[in-house]
Amino acid sequence: MKCPRCNSDNTRKMADAPVGNAWEVYVCEKCWYSWRSTETPVVIEKFKLDDEKIAHMGVIPPIPPLKK
Amino acid sequence: MAKVYKDLRDFLELLEAEGQLVRVKEEVNPEPDIAAAGRAAANLGKNQPAIFFEKVKGYKYSVVTNVHGSWQNHALMLGLDKNTSTKDQFYELNRRWDKFPVPPNIVKREDAPCKENVVDKNINLFEILPLYRINEQDGGFFISKASVVTADPEFPDDFNKLNVGTYRIQVKDKDRVGIQALAMHDIAVQLEKAEAENKPLPICITLGNNPLVTFMASTPIGYSQNEYEFVGALQDGVPTDIVKSDLYDHLYVPAGSEVVLEGHIIPRVRTVEGPFGEFPGSYSGSRLQCEVQIDRITHRTNPIFENLYLGLPWTEIDYLMALNTSVPLYKQLKESMPEVVAVNAMYTHGIGVIISTKVRYGGYAKGVAFRLLSTPHGMPYSKVVIVVDEFVDPFNLEQVMWALTTRVQPSKDVSIIENCPGMPLDPSSNPPGMHSKLIIDATTPVAPEPNPRETQLLDPPATTKEWEEKLKEMMKNLNK
Repeated sequence: MKCPRCNSDNTRKMADAPVGNAWEVYVCEKCWYSWRSTETPVVIEKFKLDDEKIAHMGVIPPIPPLKK
Repeated sequence: MAKVYKDLRDFLELLEAEGQLVRVKEEVNPEPDIAAAGRAAANLGKNQPAIFFEKVKGYKYSVVTNVHGSWQNHALMLGLDKNTSTKDQFYELNRRWDKFPVPPNIVKREDAPCKENVVDKNINLFEILPLYRINEQDGGFFISKASVVTADPEFPDDFNKLNVGTYRIQVKDKDRVGIQALAMHDIAVQLEKAEAENKPLPICITLGNNPLVTFMASTPIGYSQNEYEFVGALQDGVPTDIVKSDLYDHLYVPAGSEVVLEGHIIPRVRTVEGPFGEFPGSYSGSRLQCEVQIDRITHRTNPIFENLYLGLPWTEIDYLMALNTSVPLYKQLKESMPEVVAVNAMYTHGIGVIISTKVRYGGYAKGVAFRLLSTPHGMPYSKVVIVVDEFVDPFNLEQVMWALTTRVQPSKDVSIIENCPGMPLDPSSNPPGMHSKLIIDATTPVAPEPNPRETQLLDPPATTKEWEEKLKEMMKNLNK
């Protein structure tokens, strides 16, 4: 199963419905997108991710230098 | 004495009795039903109720949304008549604000409803919380209305520096969430100290609280001002109940919380978070943000998951962050500028602000705007500042438009200040976090500023007040 956002194969099941077999939730371990089996995720082009976009993302908040 | 709610359940009961809560008894789908109902409630535009979903497909427990999502619910939160005007709610909040600090009441563990149940192994958020996607392009399921408790690692036992704040939270796994700690927020000050020593930052994420705890968690107050002490003030002097966290002796959580997630921010780790439909009515993109490992959950029996819908304004968040942005800004201005009469900072969390002030001398209105733009919240957030005379009600937009149309000479009264701090989530801020500021002086010129065409304002005819009463009476009789 590919990630609908970054197309990675590194996806897995995150959770089952606590009641019945109503749905499952999946997550991508590369971009941490998650979705429910009952959804039809359509990630618009603007929000699609790849290695380059992830490498250039802002870091919030910045990681401070380690105290010596 | 105003009515005080000990917890969320107490408030929901009152809302239902006042006709301000609707119960959805049939089973709903997590997507898109819960968010759609939140949007639909906002679309009603008047008397919007809280919406209680009794059954959500695949989940054990219930969800409530739009709890703060109307002026009626906001007034009831303050224990006022539900028809109290926004301006009167503003003045009542100001009156109670001055009762700060009211130290909270620390209750024993056995007396705290939030400790009724404990999960300390095989943590699975989905077992406790009916999580759902709020907006279609959100990167996952978000917890949008938590009151997050952290402390200053340098002064862990300084209760004044205990922080209760609202930050967006993305579910990343059954026992792990992402959290947005923007550099300007108090939690980021604490996180920086912990991360500089490569230490985890202890954290308690509390959900489903007394509505004034949620209100204060999203109020911009000073770093060394304690939110719980403000809740007591806003309860008109009645202390709020808190209890020690199970894992951390220096963290305290609301005793009546529906759910408390205890854990730690993993030091020096950032992973992809977002997008998330944010309060300016647009998505913020994906960024690398912090993660929280959840180590323990305590919760009430049959917990209620309270969450908030955010959409194109106005939606619930705009009611929640309206007067709680206006009041602290007003107080901060009033300290040094007693001429200020009222501050309406209700537009997009104070990005737009209207200040009503008496003008002591020429240029004073602009000085008031500069003062606002140098307050802790106003500096990054506020971008459009309109200053009106003391007799203009800043909560009455028709009056504000009158002032703009008749008091502004654009060539001298409109100022743009370049290269100032900006709110990164404001999509017009570029680069994110930098902005110019707009000040519009819509006050009447006062010496030494020339006022070459001084006007005589129209006064109401002598018996207008009597006629108002008479007409109201006549209207009442018409409806009989």
